[in-house]
This record gives sequence, structure tokens and C-alpha cells, in this order.
Amino acid sequence: MARIIIVSNLNYQYPDGTPALRDVSFDVKEGETMVIIGANGTGKSTLFMNLMGVLDGDGHIEIMGLTLTKTNKKEIRQRMGMVFQNPDDQLFCPTVMDDVSFGPLNLGWDSDRAIEASQEALALVGMEGHGSRTSYHLSFGEKKRVAIATVLSMNPKILLLDEPTSGLDPRSSSKFINILYTLKSQGKTLLIVTHDVFLAQEIADRVLVFSEEKRPVATGNYNEILNNYDLLLKNNLVHQHRHRHNEIVHEHEHRHGHSHKH
Amino acid sequence: MKYVHSLLESLDPRSKIISFLAIIFCMILTPITRLKDFELYFLLILGISFFSRITPVQIMKKLCILIPFVFFMAMFVPFVKPGQVCWSLKIGYWKLNVTCEGAWTFLNIVVKSSLSILLLILASSTTNFTDFLKGLDLLHLPRFLVMLMSFMYRYIFVLLEEARRLMRARSLRYFGSRYMEQFRVLGYMIGMLFIRTYERAERIYHAMILRGFSGEIHDIKHFRFSSVDYLFIAGIIISLMCIVSGLIYKMEYIKVSNARLWQGL
Repeated sequence: MARIIIVSNLNYQYPDGTPALRDVSFDVKEGETMVIIGANGTGKSTLFMNLMGVLDGDGHIEIMGLTLTKTNKKEIRQRMGMVFQNPDDQLFCPTVMDDVSFGPLNLGWDSDRAIEASQEALALVGMEGHGSRTSYHLSFGEKKRVAIATVLSMNPKILLLDEPTSGLDPRSSSKFINILYTLKSQGKTLLIVTHDVFLAQEIADRVLVFSEEKRPVATGNYNEILNNYDLLLKNNLVHQHRHRHNEIVHEHEHRHGHSHKH
Repeated sequence: MKYVHSLLESLDPRSKIISFLAIIFCMILTPITRLKDFELYFLLILGISFFSRITPVQIMKKLCILIPFVFFMAMFVPFVKPGQVCWSLKIGYWKLNVTCEGAWTFLNIVVKSSLSILLLILASSTTNFTDFLKGLDLLHLPRFLVMLMSFMYRYIFVLLEEARRLMRARSLRYFGSRYMEQFRVLGYMIGMLFIRTYERAERIYHAMILRGFSGEIHDIKHFRFSSVDYLFIAGIIISLMCIVSGLIYKMEYIKVSNARLWQGL
């Protein structure tokens, strides 16, 4: 399959000089779901901002055959949508409908087409009929779902999702994963940033591990990565579990949920 | 009948803005000495409120919140404004003079602002804020202002929530400290709020440009002027013209003389 995203030797540092990305290279194939896992502060979100052209790092980024430059950002943003971690940042319009149709209207679509696309997007995330509600009054789970609809209404080929399941209760979370499945079956390429290893297990075709040196250290399918316990421990994705049985202190890996047998 | 009582709610926001602004404009230009005109304005506003779903109690409640501010601002004018003294109060060495000019100014402020506030209450309780903003936008108020108000409306609660979280975090770790210390903490909190607001604004702006924002807000237009809107505006303008031109007094005169006629008969 064709490679839809190619990143090579991407470096970025914050204005104060702190390095955020160091020599990042990877690629994503068309229709693939890649989950990027890494501990806090490993530069995953910064990577997304670089891919979208909001931050300008040094390096080469190619999206759907187009090399990202200052002039073609707009074109790339039509084909690739990003969903922010905090839905309050994503939903800035007074009503849900205004928000979902914001992108299509900016693309210059006429009202009817924009409304149709917005309603389709809302239906896809199970929020049909909520168009006239005020964004502020939605529950957190609903906000998250509307946030993804605001991007879907532009019908992008690639979706970047920043921590899609963080802060969601189990039911909302599994609802959200269902939405991701639907998108995947529609042939969209998904790039998901998370430190939720279980989300990766659910949906990933390929997993990319970011290390605390701010660059990818390993890639492979879910089983390869998750069986490499040393890798996960080194990159702060599982923790060593310590507890006492009388006089003996146990120390063992911890990745099967919170209950386990000895 | 049900339709009549929610007429104001179903009107296009633009027609409400236009007609209410027209009323306020006429009211403000009327000299306060024509007190009778203001009675008529009051009747007109009462008439409008008949077409809405709000009850007099609701109106009174909102009025009671806003009127004290006006009253407080106007309270000192009669004593301060120079002019002919018409009433004075003497307590020992103190002497308070109320001037006629001051009293009229007081009346001017209180009457005009109360009536304007009444209209504002009618407008705000029959239009939801987002529709109101869209109306302003369609009336070609500067885009920048409309966007500013829209963002304020969207994020004021988010900001308040953030401030409340900061306050809570402070009070949970607050065990009493010196007076100056408290000011320092307050300063940190305000600074923190500014930084958070700034960063949030940055993120929102990014979210906007990622969805193709280039300085213009495109809206789905779903307001349409109906015949009811035209009728409403026409009705308001005609009654304003009657009041301003003094035509209505002549009508009243006719009515009164008719009544006398009937009595005579």
C-alpha cells in the first residue's frame, strides 16, 4: 500500500530552546491505523502540530504526496483533520451546528451542502438532533464526540486524534472506540496519540513508541510491542509493581489491569 | 391566541433590534418636560409585552435587579447640579439644596433608562443570545465586535469554572495567613488565570485555522423576514410617529370631546 504520511528527520524545539522532537522519522500507510504511545511530555502532541503545519520544525513532511510547505498548508488541512485533546478548545461556536459546519463553510461550500455534511457527521457520532444545543451545556463525552464531528464534516482522508479517550468513563470510551472502528472501516487513515495501552490493543494496526528522548524508538504490531516488556518499562508505559508478602518484597510487571494472582 | 402570545419570540431578531432601537432613539430625543409622551411610550412597551410569553412578575424581578444601579447613579444629581433652588433641607450646619434643574435631570435619567431597560428585558427574554448575535451580524454591525461577543458568551463560563478551580485549590490549602500574604496569593491567581486564558486562546485559534479559518466567519443563514416582521416594524414606526408628532393627543382630544358629547346626550 502507498505511504500516505512520510516524516523524515523532523526536529523541533520550543521558543525557549527546550527540544520537543529529536530526529523523528516514520511513515504511515494508506488506510492504516497507527497508535502512537508514549509517556507524558514525549512530544506526541507537538508532532501533530508539526504535521498540521501549525508549528514549523526542521525536517521533511510529506502528506498524500504533497511536501508540507508554507503555501500548501491549507490544501493539506482539507485532507487531514485534527481533533484536539480538550473539546472546549475545539468547540468555539455558540451552537453545535455552527461548530460542525464551521469547516465546510470555510472551505467555501454553500449552506445546503455544509448542513448536509454536518448532519451526516453528527449522525456518524450519534449526536443527530443535537445541532441547536449550546456546546457549553454538553456532557464531556458528548463534547468529545461533537469535536470529532467538527472534523469529519470536512470529509478528511486522514484523522489525527490527540488522546481521544482521556477523561471518558468506560461506556463513553467504548462508544468512542466504536466510532473509530466505523471510521477505520470507511478507509480513513487514523493516527492516534495516547498513553492508554488498552486503546492501542483495541484498534491499532501498528504501534509507534515514543521515548522520553522525544523520538520514536520502536514500531511494530500490537503484540510485538506489548510483549516487549523491557521496552515498555524503559519508556514509562508500564510500571514496576512492588508489594510485600510477609517478609518478601515482590517486584513484577504490571499490565493486566489492577487485579492479578500470585 | 397562543400564537399571539409568542409573537415576539417568533419574530426575526433583526426586526426586534430595529424596532426597539427606534423606540429608544425617539425616547432619548424627547425632552423630559413632555412627561405625557413618556406615559405613551410606557403604554407602547406594555403593548409589546402583551405579545410575548413573559409574565409581569418576571419583568418586575429583572427590573428590580437593574433599577438600583440607575437609581444609585442618578441619586446625587439633584443635590449637585447648580441652578434654582426649589427645596432645601437643613440639619444643624448642614444644608442640602435640591435644584429644579437637578430634579429634572434626575427624572430624565431615571425615566428614560427605566423604559430602555424594560425594552432590553423584553428583547433579552424573547431572543436567545446566539440569534441576537446573528441578527446583529446580518445588520452589518462590525464582524469583529460580533465575534468578540460570541467568543465571550462561549467562554465566560469556562473561564469562571477555571477561576473557581483555582479558588478551590487555594482554599483547600489555606490555613490562615497574614494580610499581605493573601494579596500575594491573589496576585498569583490572577496572573495564572491570565496565562491560562492566553494559552487557551492560542489553542482555540489553532483549532480555527486548522479548519480553514482565514479571518471571516461564514454563517448558515436561516433567518427570513416574514410579513409578520414587516407588520411589526411598521406598527412600531407608525405608533412612534403618532407619539412624536403629537397626533395622538388630537385623537385623545377627539375621544374626550366625544365622551362629553355622550354625556351631554
